[in-house]
Amino acid sequence: MAAYIAGDKAAFRELFQRYTPLLQRAMARDLRSPEEANDLVQQTFLHLHRSRLDFQPGRKLKPWIFTIALNLKREYFRRSKRRHETSLDDDRVAEPFEGPRGQERSDASRETARALLSLPPEQREVIELHWFGGLSFPEVAEAVGSTVAAVKVRAHRGYVALRARLGEVAPDPDSVHAGKPSVAESK
Amino acid sequence: MDCSQIRDAFVSGARLPDEQRDAHLANCPQCQALFERDAELGRSLAVQASVALPVAELSFARFERELAHETGLRAWLRSRPSRLRFTLVLLPVLLAVVAGGLFRQRADFAEYPALRIVLLLSVYFVAIALAFAKEFSELPRPAPLQDYLGLLCFALAVPTLAGFAPATEASRHAYPGGALGCFGYGAALTLPIALSLWAFDRDDQPSLRTVCLSAAALGLSANLLLELHCANGNPTHVLLGHASLGLAWLLIWATVRGLSRA
Repeated sequence: MAAYIAGDKAAFRELFQRYTPLLQRAMARDLRSPEEANDLVQQTFLHLHRSRLDFQPGRKLKPWIFTIALNLKREYFRRSKRRHETSLDDDRVAEPFEGPRGQERSDASRETARALLSLPPEQREVIELHWFGGLSFPEVAEAVGSTVAAVKVRAHRGYVALRARLGEVAPDPDSVHAGKPSVAESK
Repeated sequence: MDCSQIRDAFVSGARLPDEQRDAHLANCPQCQALFERDAELGRSLAVQASVALPVAELSFARFERELAHETGLRAWLRSRPSRLRFTLVLLPVLLAVVAGGLFRQRADFAEYPALRIVLLLSVYFVAIALAFAKEFSELPRPAPLQDYLGLLCFALAVPTLAGFAPATEASRHAYPGGALGCFGYGAALTLPIALSLWAFDRDDQPSLRTVCLSAAALGLSANLLLELHCANGNPTHVLLGHASLGLAWLLIWATVRGLSRA
């Protein structure tokens, strides 16, 4: 980002290529149309361009970009007067990559997606940013404009609710890790 | 390692050293149960993170075409640092207040205690600066709608209450006439501020936040300028000619937002 502010236009292309997949996934989770998701991603980069002179060197770019993206997504839903396009009964909520135990993984994944959708938005948001956006909790706190402690509380409440809901799904003992897998490990 | 570290590691996503973790879990059934449940949840979320989502290709070339439109005065203005944008919008208000105070000072100022005048003008000015600061913060933070609505309600309520505030006898018993003139005067003076708000706004379509904050700032600015100029304290006059300006700016911004959505 510092290179782009200094006038290196190629640096913005690199930023675009690095963050577009992450932002597309973040948008696609809530938007039915990939084109609408892409429009919001494009607007995110346009806002990044417009606010480039506000960026302070040494600051982390990832939470900055996600803050812009979250604001745009919220405004999009506010403007279109709907909250999320994905409903709990939507068959598209989760289509995992086929693995060795494809059907089982697929069912569990759908159940997790439904459980996530049933969470209050503020809890769901921090869990998705941490697990799917790859942001650390301090970065999540920066992105949502809150404190680390408050974000952890929101995540913890979300985990409790998720556990309660997912408790109905039969566990898969073979694939249970000895510890919680990290985000990096899951990719 | 204690129980709180086990819980913190789960919440933060950190990996614990295997030996220390196992040693603690062997002696702590509560943590063992917690850790097993969390591991299952972690696995579910990890699977969810790898879910294939419908994503269309987005090329940099397409974005570059959009970026090519970012030229001209407005593109330059809206990309200025936020502190500069804030200063450049607040400056006209300050200048108008100074100019209004010097050249169009209301006739009955001397009849009011200086403290009251200073206090009233300060409340107006601080609220205006707050609205601009929120609108031009470096990176608008997600905040509940109540935050914006609160300021908007304040902006609509203060001029309304001013209509019923204690005033001099002559002022209170003045005729309500001239409300249209005051409305026009306030609108004309705040029009340049409205245009600069639009020019500096980084959104292509005004957000709800911008509608609320801009209407609040413009309504307050207009009433601040009218406080300096108009000595008519007749409640009907104040309500129709002064306080209604906040509502008028709210309607205008809401219309602009509605039109941009269409």
